[in-house]
Amino acid sequence: MALNFMDVFYRAYLGEPPNDALSKSMANSVVTQAIQGGIAPYQEYLLQGSIVDTSRDVLLHRLQGLCDNAEGMPQKFQDHEMVFMMRGNTPQQIISFRVRHSLHQRQNWVLRYTGQTEIGDKNRQTLVRTCCDVATSDNVVQFLNEMGFRLDNEFIAKGFFFHKGRMRVTVSKIYKILQHDNLDNLEQLTMSHLVELSVVAPVGQEQIGEDMKAFAEQLKPLVQLDKIDHRRLQTF
Amino acid sequence: MNYGPNYSHLHNLDNTYREFVQFDVFAYPVPEGKSGQQVVDSLQRQVELLGAVKSGNFSVDCETYQSNLQNDMIFLTFSPQRLVHILHNTEQPATCFSILDTGTCLMADVMFEIFMNKLTHSKSAFYQQRKGFKIESKGQRYELGDFFIKIGSVSLMSNFKGILVEVEYCPCVILNDCWNLLKEFMQSFMGNIVEAPPPYLKNKADTPYAPSDTVHQYLEHFNNFRKTVPIGQPSR
Amino acid sequence: MAVAGVNVSVEAVLENQIQEVSLDGQEIYVPPLSMSENLTKQAHKIDFYRDETEEKGKPASEGEQDSGEKTLTPFQPSLWPWDSVRNKLKAAFTEVSVLLDVLNIVKEKHYMVLDQVSQGSQDSMESRAESRPGVHMLSKKRSLLSAANILMAGSERLRRSQSQAESTIKSQSDFHIELLKLRQNWRLRKVGSAILGDLSYKSAGSRFLQSGTFEVVKCSGENSIEQEGSAPRMLEVVIPSELEGVAYIQVEVKPVPDAMDLTSAILKMPAGLGQVPTDAYWQQKLEVAQNVLFCKELFAQLAREAVHAKTSSPHLVVGNQIITNVFPGIQLSIVLCHSTGKDKKGGSGPHKLEHNHVLEHSLHQLLREVHYKAINHPPPHPVIGTLGVSKRRRMAGPSGMSRSELQQMMESESLLEQIIKQTRHEVLRLRTMKVLDRLSARLSDPLVACHWSCLNSSLQSVVKVMISSYGYEYRMMSQSFILMIGVGSIKAITKEGRTFCLSFEGQDLEDLVMWQLSQHHTIVAQTLGKMMGWHLLSHSGNCGVGDMETVGTASSIMLAPPGHNRVLSVKSGPSRGMKVCVKSLQKEGLPSLSAVTDPKWKVVGGDFQDIDLDKIDGRNVAAKLELLMATLSKAEPH
Repeated sequence: MALNFMDVFYRAYLGEPPNDALSKSMANSVVTQAIQGGIAPYQEYLLQGSIVDTSRDVLLHRLQGLCDNAEGMPQKFQDHEMVFMMRGNTPQQIISFRVRHSLHQRQNWVLRYTGQTEIGDKNRQTLVRTCCDVATSDNVVQFLNEMGFRLDNEFIAKGFFFHKGRMRVTVSKIYKILQHDNLDNLEQLTMSHLVELSVVAPVGQEQIGEDMKAFAEQLKPLVQLDKIDHRRLQTF
Repeated sequence: MNYGPNYSHLHNLDNTYREFVQFDVFAYPVPEGKSGQQVVDSLQRQVELLGAVKSGNFSVDCETYQSNLQNDMIFLTFSPQRLVHILHNTEQPATCFSILDTGTCLMADVMFEIFMNKLTHSKSAFYQQRKGFKIESKGQRYELGDFFIKIGSVSLMSNFKGILVEVEYCPCVILNDCWNLLKEFMQSFMGNIVEAPPPYLKNKADTPYAPSDTVHQYLEHFNNFRKTVPIGQPSR
Repeated sequence: MAVAGVNVSVEAVLENQIQEVSLDGQEIYVPPLSMSENLTKQAHKIDFYRDETEEKGKPASEGEQDSGEKTLTPFQPSLWPWDSVRNKLKAAFTEVSVLLDVLNIVKEKHYMVLDQVSQGSQDSMESRAESRPGVHMLSKKRSLLSAANILMAGSERLRRSQSQAESTIKSQSDFHIELLKLRQNWRLRKVGSAILGDLSYKSAGSRFLQSGTFEVVKCSGENSIEQEGSAPRMLEVVIPSELEGVAYIQVEVKPVPDAMDLTSAILKMPAGLGQVPTDAYWQQKLEVAQNVLFCKELFAQLAREAVHAKTSSPHLVVGNQIITNVFPGIQLSIVLCHSTGKDKKGGSGPHKLEHNHVLEHSLHQLLREVHYKAINHPPPHPVIGTLGVSKRRRMAGPSGMSRSELQQMMESESLLEQIIKQTRHEVLRLRTMKVLDRLSARLSDPLVACHWSCLNSSLQSVVKVMISSYGYEYRMMSQSFILMIGVGSIKAITKEGRTFCLSFEGQDLEDLVMWQLSQHHTIVAQTLGKMMGWHLLSHSGNCGVGDMETVGTASSIMLAPPGHNRVLSVKSGPSRGMKVCVKSLQKEGLPSLSAVTDPKWKVVGGDFQDIDLDKIDGRNVAAKLELLMATLSKAEPH
């Protein structure tokens, strides 16, 4: 398991009660360092691919064989993602935050910021982007609206979750929300499932890409996980 | 010991101690902060005489961000400037409280600050940090049976501003059920300055108490303290 | 003949060919050839056909055949010496011309088309062969026969190999089939030319450093282990030496010996117990080795925890044993027994088998649980949430979890702590059982019955203790209380809802039971009184008067029969026993005053008389009391 930043933080923060000023400042330095550096202390390594609906179950079986949580049924998830944007006077002035809300555990909301995706050269095995996930209370939508953010788009992802070590594999289907208030009135966007292999890790752990590539190789005939250049996709 | 949601009442001693302190500072050439420290010391002695035991330090800090007026496009819907207060309380070490001037309080992981950083440091600075607005209350934490007492001295940019006393009664979450008990307890070491529940809690007296209520009270007091310094005055 | 040493020179004879030897011995030589004659002779030697046929690539046999015919002619007398050369050249020219024509005809296809040779033509060898059906049939028959022979040979070889395999399948079982079977159960990989396997629990979540690599080797024919009764195998596994033998974890809970000898703490391995037969099947070998690894990991984990634990009484780690005190006077020892089976110590004495199976089993379970948790994370919701943290922990920030809650959540119990807790509970449960059993065997008057809950956890169990009088179980409520046996203490809840916390000492429980028993008697009296219509005058659970009890307090009850002419007093204490007194109505008691309205007050005062319960018939106190009360309520006072 990766060194969990939050663990370090809590441990430092909760240290010895009578004299925790020192440990507190130590813990704070991690956050402040990250803030002053202007970067999130985490990076997401990502590979994407897709599989047609009819072959999904084959892939799920394969993943069950490969991944750690192999016992029992594949774990399902159903998330509602909303993309919020704040725009300035010029087109360059734009910032977007994502809010992801679990429809299985409805009290769980996550606010996510992802930086610019770096394709990198051929030596780099995966997409890399800075990434910051923060669990928040349920009024995050209201909060963002009052801050000046506006809802840009939203969708629902239903699918399955696997993990292998710290690699996270999701096989999910993206749905369009036809009615804004009704999350049950959905329409599928495509006849295929999105397959994502991702690792969120502290900055500077490039060898993860190799592990991910090796894992992706094992899924090869079924699904081709690759670096998808989102900017090129947008030009189509 | 497993405490449920805590009830806490925060009482500001501004009417007496704060004015007295400021008067002292400005009128007499006594080293700054010493008289404030004296008040704190006498309060601590009082509390210790009651039998309370020290249980470490505490601190509550607050920083304020304001929306950037140059980007007024996005704030067409809001007439005034938007303010975001980011508060931390050592009592909830895993939480970052962000309170908007509308009263919305978002509770998130401590990493939430990275998001504020994104809003202030990106190409389009939608928000900016208010200079000279960092304020915090820190001091000794005491335990006496089911009561937690926190005596904190407030400092704005390392200038002593006053004293805040927080009293928490753990077994109860409804203010009305325990207000008289709390009042009596507080009067035992603070005298008759405590008469009515704080204004923020008046209309919440029958609802279960939440950690955000403590932070809200601190914020109200912090704002009062800040008003004593004219905005725009260069801080040291 | 030639004598050795004589030189013989071999040289070409330079003279001309001898034509004739005359009778006088004179040799007549053939005159040497002139230049032109010589040329003619040489020219004769040229075989023009040969060159020609070679150039055209025609079958040599045809050319030779032709040249054979031509060579018949050369020694015909000719008019001039170049005649034969000219003829040959001419013939060659004719041939070439004909050939050219044929080629032209074939190529141009204006004049002639080459077609399959008809049946009747007698030009070529093939057509000749085909024309004769006998030959044709013969050739076909021959080729069929050869094909059949090949097939027959093949099938024969197959049959032979099959029969060979059948007869020697056990002795010659295939290495690769074995390898296939091995692969179905164990992780294998190929490194270079060797096949390595892994029997560690790493893929199941273990983080133990010791590797469990084993090697798969192929047994060749001669060194495959031959044995009567079982088949020799082609596949053998080589297990690292540190994992050889048999290991198990032995847990013992025992009273602390008076003088503890640390040297004896290192447990002697029972010989003969841990023996894997060297010829065991690989599956068995690997399983045993895996168990060794598991036990080693378990012990290493426990030893590490024992060393790092900060407790008031330090745990002792000596050699392969961990000793710790669970209660004063009771110690828990966890021993790693690992016998490689090589060092055969004969005199290790008889093996004690008083080890605790339950705790051993739960130790194994605890480590498996650690393994399971290491790789099975709860799924994050939403799916982008942090991996590997609990659901509650994920909500710590948004729900504003307090410091103490966070601290609590981060605390995790070590294996050792958990097993010590379980041990404590088990010791306590056994003690409770013993105390209750002893009491219920000893006491017959109120009966003590225990109902153990069949559902209990490894850290808590519940027993309900019922106190009743024989014959009165259904007619009156019996006294009962519940004992909740925890880790270090017992919580007792009586029927009226009072809670007592008892220490781990058995005496506490015994005192409680004795006290409850004494209370039982007054309650019996009260119940009987109620059934007979008596009036309850007073009832005290903790009677403050009278002789002091050594333990607990006495209880007392005063009852009056329906006529209010007597008072029955029962006092019962845990150590002093039972005392029953009766006071009779005194007619000349108090003078009748106008202030006294109720005649019952006239009974106040007077002397109590002891009643010897032993003299009253009845098999137990309840029966005696019933009899007594029945008499008292009937009898008219004198």
